[in-house]
Amino acid sequence: MTYSFPILSFIVFTPLLGMIVVMLLNRERVTAIRWMSAVFAFITMIFTLIVLKDYDSSTASMQFMESFNWIPSINASYLLGVDGISVPMLLLTSLLSLVAIVISFNITNRVKEYFAFFLLLECGMLGVFVALDFFLFYVFWEVMLVPMYFLIGIWGGPRREYAAIKFFLYTLFGSIFMLVAILVMYFTSDPHTLSMIELIKTAPTFSRGVQIFAFAFFFIAFAIKVPVWPFHTWLPDAHVEAPTAISIILAGVLLKMGTYGMLRVSWAMLPQGLHYFAVPIAILGLIGIIYGALVSMAQKDLKKLVAYSSVSHMGYCMVALAAYGSVTAIAGCMFQLVSHGLITGAMFLLVGVLYDRAHTREIAAFGGLANKLPVFTGIFTLFGMASLGLPGMSGFISEFMVFVGSFKAYPIIVGLAVLGVVLTAAYILRMIQKIFLGEFDIAKWGGLTEINLREILCVSPLAILTIFIGVYPKPLADLMRATLENLVVLMAR
Amino acid sequence: MMTVPLDYYIILSAFLFAIGAIGVVVSRNLIVMFMAVEIMLNAANLALIAFSRFLKLMDGHVFVFLVMTVAAAEAAVGLAIVIAVFRARESVNADSLNLMKW
Amino acid sequence: MVNLTPLLPELFLFCWALVVLASDLFSKRRSASLPGYLSLAGLVITGFLLIPAHDAYLWGGMFVSDPFAVFFKIIFLGAAFMAIGSSFGLAGRMTHHRGEYFTLILFSTVGMMFLASAKELITLYVGLELTTIPLYVLAAYTKSSRASTEAGLKYMIIGAVSSAVLLYGLSIIYGLTGTTFLQQITINLSIYWLSYGELGPAFSIALMAILAGLAFKLALVPFHMWAPDVYEGSPTPVTAFLSVGSKAAGLAAIVRIFVGAFIAFATPVMAPRDWGSTLAVLAAITMIVGNIVAIRQTNIKRMLAYSSIAQAGYIMVGVVAASNLGVSAISFYVFSYMFANMGAFAIVAIIAERTGSEQIADLAGFSKSSPVLAGLMAIFILSLAGIPPLAGFLAKYYVFAAAVQAGYTWLVVLALLTSVIAYYYYANVIRMMYLSADPNPHHIVPSFPAGLVLALAGIGVILFGLMPEPILKLAIAAASSFVF
Repeated sequence: MTYSFPILSFIVFTPLLGMIVVMLLNRERVTAIRWMSAVFAFITMIFTLIVLKDYDSSTASMQFMESFNWIPSINASYLLGVDGISVPMLLLTSLLSLVAIVISFNITNRVKEYFAFFLLLECGMLGVFVALDFFLFYVFWEVMLVPMYFLIGIWGGPRREYAAIKFFLYTLFGSIFMLVAILVMYFTSDPHTLSMIELIKTAPTFSRGVQIFAFAFFFIAFAIKVPVWPFHTWLPDAHVEAPTAISIILAGVLLKMGTYGMLRVSWAMLPQGLHYFAVPIAILGLIGIIYGALVSMAQKDLKKLVAYSSVSHMGYCMVALAAYGSVTAIAGCMFQLVSHGLITGAMFLLVGVLYDRAHTREIAAFGGLANKLPVFTGIFTLFGMASLGLPGMSGFISEFMVFVGSFKAYPIIVGLAVLGVVLTAAYILRMIQKIFLGEFDIAKWGGLTEINLREILCVSPLAILTIFIGVYPKPLADLMRATLENLVVLMAR
Repeated sequence: MMTVPLDYYIILSAFLFAIGAIGVVVSRNLIVMFMAVEIMLNAANLALIAFSRFLKLMDGHVFVFLVMTVAAAEAAVGLAIVIAVFRARESVNADSLNLMKW
Repeated sequence: MVNLTPLLPELFLFCWALVVLASDLFSKRRSASLPGYLSLAGLVITGFLLIPAHDAYLWGGMFVSDPFAVFFKIIFLGAAFMAIGSSFGLAGRMTHHRGEYFTLILFSTVGMMFLASAKELITLYVGLELTTIPLYVLAAYTKSSRASTEAGLKYMIIGAVSSAVLLYGLSIIYGLTGTTFLQQITINLSIYWLSYGELGPAFSIALMAILAGLAFKLALVPFHMWAPDVYEGSPTPVTAFLSVGSKAAGLAAIVRIFVGAFIAFATPVMAPRDWGSTLAVLAAITMIVGNIVAIRQTNIKRMLAYSSIAQAGYIMVGVVAASNLGVSAISFYVFSYMFANMGAFAIVAIIAERTGSEQIADLAGFSKSSPVLAGLMAIFILSLAGIPPLAGFLAKYYVFAAAVQAGYTWLVVLALLTSVIAYYYYANVIRMMYLSADPNPHHIVPSFPAGLVLALAGIGVILFGLMPEPILKLAIAAASSFVF
């Protein structure tokens, strides 16, 4: 489909324009900076909604393609396009970015730099989901890291510098493997190309050895981002130390990039490597599910609990991805990405809301908050239920699809993975019980104020979407179906 | 007339080069170090001349002249710096150059 | 009468240097402006003179002006321009010998340009010496400073020893092949090889001597011990010039000799008479040692010294590839490295001039007191680290691509692993400037020429990261100067 208007470029570079505008504003004009950032994030979201409206879900081919011969000397081109797996990610990214910007209105320290870095981050994230050229993909992949380093390092919690550098080095360590794999793919392909579209066609003809090598290297890069156990150790530090908005972005968008990269790159291009590694990946996914859940159970810090629950939730994605023969499983993985982005994003947001008022995140310090904060309790419980997979919420749909889809391929692993659901229910319910029920310490928490309108406005789109997908998943499924069916054919090669 | 074979020159030049190199490493006196460097350069000069003579070519001779000129320039600059160092610390011992770790 | 047109840029710059020397007689007592601006103008004019001088040769091919030479000359002129631009503050405080300072930089630049054009051993040797002898003086320029004289002396001794070693290697090559012309050396060596099937240990000794001699100039580990001391002790603009100009010159010499004349001996197939695997090992240990030792440095000049040692290791990865892609990659690498490194040193010079401190710790809070300078410093550092979309990333990508193509995947993996170490110490500078909450008392505004240098470097790093195509074309043309 040809589209006369370069809408994807507009999506990617509107935040960058916003960054420039913000940088030109006087640093004293805090309100203007905040609103300007929100306006640019909002415009970006409008663009992504236009893409959603005009997206033709009946075909698996790339749409809204933009192509420009960027650096001919190294065969790198500026190639953009979206299909059924990138459109949901684009929507999720632009929505969560807007939410994160609005929730960051309470940032008072170095406001101008904060929003400038945030908009640069958004530009990088959106770029990753639309880039179809390896060089461009890698550029966006790395561009994100620098603002992320600053955002965690300047505005984070007490151990922010450690968390920031750990995140930075860990992800860069991952991306070097991706770079080597990209170069190997480039020189193996004939004619040499960096275009993902071309490589999806030609890469499966590479020799088995090259495919396994490239797959392994790509896997390390993406697995660190996902994060797959045992590459997850950066996650608790980064998620816990990051400011609220950045935790939302980390959980809601950055973790999705790893899975997106797998589907887009290694799964689609290197089927031989996939077949070779499928079982170990499923096992790693299972370990992630159980390990994440068990560690969550042991947490005393609320934010850490939510962070480790991400490890557990992303494990479902890995199990689903390992069952590459089933459209249901892959669709379940995509649903899980969207729903985890919404739910965990909202959870971090709510934890941040609580922390802003109570200045502690220790679960044991709270009790009976339901008496004092009924609205907050209601919203929190809603997302808690969504997280543990209550039917009628998006989490249920995705987990159910994952189990049904991958059961045929891995009956034992799926059987054990269901155990994870029980564990999830256990730690979520225990957390809700300890914080909101029980005895209320009026002396300590009598001064707590209810969640305010801005925060409710931020969290409500997430709540609406969580319920909507849970009740009526068909639109999202239809959006992705053609692409996923095509993908399953590609992976079976 | 008997001529000295090429090998002898080359071996001599190798010995001279080795002496120079050892001199630079072992000596602690800056002036002696400079002399050792000169020996190394002249070892190379000897080899060049010998090859040039053996091959009946002129390039080597030209090379040697230029090397000598360069060595003179180097020595001039080097001694000037040694004087500057001496003025700053009253010593030409290489061990006194310890302001920064080697 | 010989037509000297190909030599015109060098001749002009040489004469202009003398003009600059004379101009100091007429300039005011406490101002470096006149000789400084004259030097800058001279460099720009020389740059324009380079345009018509391509694919010409002089004296039967001793001196050529091929695309490779022109590309490197652009780099030398750029490095000299930025070094002089950031020297105004330093020179302004000198009471004596201000004109000489600029003149010496220009002389050294002439030597580098000569070196890049040399396709014959004598020219190459003389060019190399003309490059380094003025640099000895420049390193020791602040005579009253003990560190500076010490740096000059160390540089001098190491430089003299390394050129003696190099010369010894060259003399053996001359003896083996009976010629000093690089092209003829290639031909004679292959005749020798075809006749005897072996080149004997003398050839190995010569290869190793030349490699060692040039490795000293490039500060490859284990021939690097001098570099940190000299870089720390020399006046900062001179350090910058050393780390970019003289390194690029040494690289030009390595490429001319090894890729130009000994290309047949690049592959490990020719072992033990090959240089590829030796250089690969040198590159590997250079990257490892340079990056690891840089971590514990507290002086920013010393840190940048070790970083530039490591950068030389990355460049060598491209030389090891010994291919068309490899040479164009290192050409682009040095080009982008010039902007980033000169920019970073220029900022160090500006800060040190104002605060008197070269400690990384004293950069704390710099982003609040001087946001523009801090932002530029961050950009230069990130480019050195190789973060996209800055020019340094494309340079690294290109070099690694060349090495993967040549089959050195292990070297690329190692290079990338060491670059993760590099991210750590580069990030440390950024951490100090941005993450530290301490207030910084100095609001620093650079002088006009220094600001010009920073603008040039900043634009270069960003522009050639986003739109590198014109420079890549030139770099590819530069590689076409060699036969593979």
